Amino acid sequence: MGDAAQIQFDTVPSFLGVPVGDLEDLVPGQVAIAGYFCDNLDRPAAGQRYLARQLRYASRLGKAPAGTIDLGDVNVFPLEPDKHFSAVIAQCGAVLETGARIVLVGGDSSGLKALGSAAQLITGENVSVISISERIASNISDDQPIVLSVDLQKLAGKWMSHPRRLTGLSPATMIAKIHTTPGSVIAAAVFGLAPALDNRGSMETRAALAILQAVTERLEKGAP
Amino acid sequence: MNNAQRRLITAGYAGLPFGEFSKCEAGDVGVLGVPSEVDGGPRSGTSLAPDALRRMSGQLETILPANGRDLGNLDLSGDWSGVLMQLVTQMVDSGVKPVVLGGASDVASAVLRALPDLLVVAAMPRARGDLIERAENTVWVGLNGGQPAEEWDQISQRAMDWRTARQLDEGHADFSGMPERAVLWIDISVIDLGHAAGAVGLNPGGMKPETLVSVIGAMSCNWQAIAITGLAPARDTRGISELAAIETLNAALRHG
Repeated sequence: MGDAAQIQFDTVPSFLGVPVGDLEDLVPGQVAIAGYFCDNLDRPAAGQRYLARQLRYASRLGKAPAGTIDLGDVNVFPLEPDKHFSAVIAQCGAVLETGARIVLVGGDSSGLKALGSAAQLITGENVSVISISERIASNISDDQPIVLSVDLQKLAGKWMSHPRRLTGLSPATMIAKIHTTPGSVIAAAVFGLAPALDNRGSMETRAALAILQAVTERLEKGAP
Repeated sequence: MNNAQRRLITAGYAGLPFGEFSKCEAGDVGVLGVPSEVDGGPRSGTSLAPDALRRMSGQLETILPANGRDLGNLDLSGDWSGVLMQLVTQMVDSGVKPVVLGGASDVASAVLRALPDLLVVAAMPRARGDLIERAENTVWVGLNGGQPAEEWDQISQRAMDWRTARQLDEGHADFSGMPERAVLWIDISVIDLGHAAGAVGLNPGGMKPETLVSVIGAMSCNWQAIAITGLAPARDTRGISELAAIETLNAALRHG
């Protein structure tokens, strides 16, 4: 069996090809990526929950900062919103408590909300949720903890398999904003894309992967 | 629109209720589908456009910046262009803005024949003789270089305002002499197929969809009627061409 076949069939698909790990494996400063399989709670649109799976299958090795791990998917309870939010907040909080940083991938914007609550709870500080697609306040210092919101619905129509609007950001612009947003990024959510699960979705999937890579790099650095 | 069609599409364009023209009030829009097909050529499919636009605007949950009714699709048996002219005239006389979803270019020609005294803003790649010969000058948006010399001569002699796609992309969208009232004709072929594949005309170097939206949106004309033609939705599986038509129409209604 050749290397390519081995990569394709002999490994568990993971975000950016990083090792699969668990909460106990995390050390301070490490980046953990987790999937979020829920798209019916906040700005719902069916299909957004498949982004994590799509990105795992489309990932290649060696694209993420060393030490990054794939934590699997967080447990979700989409039909019980209260239980769902407390569970997701607890799981994200457990990651942040280790001193590691977390990226939540996929689903709707409810993941971002839970992540923001978890960050607030763990740091005890007023953690700002900053969207890269909005005008960013200039009074954020580089050591202020922030949660980065990367809404893939803000991509311009030409990058999408099922565009909903013509104008928007290019992946390159998003990546540039991810790298330059002020603040110390302790968590991020990449969400809002219902990827086409066939060849038509390849462009948006590649764009989302490049964006996820940029997010993990930024999380590793913390400050811009 | 017959009952079978009504059952297939439950809501009208952009969620407007289906209804007769008599239910429209002054200031409303009346959306009318005219699913005519192009005569020939390698690219066809314009007859699918009105229903495709209704479907897409429903999926996108498009909100039209105006009230009104979707009048359904015109029955194309018999003298449909005469019926269309009569309907457009009645609507304009009642203060209702006709938004006509073609169809081929013959749809817009009928709309323009119903409103002979108004200036036309035409977004299309090739200048049409019937537009050049109208009493009022036409404003041309996105003309390409493939015009016959005699048509260029006429456009120049009458000092008509025109911009190429490249000029518009470079930001030269300042049209002089825009009147308060005009008719807007958008032929989707004005867009480069590389950006949006659902046009019946080939137009290499044509406009970008977002440029079309911004140029039309920046015009402060009070549109008396709007016609969209040349859209072949089945040729664009991603739906960018339909999206361009819907966003351009919304921009025109919002700012016009």
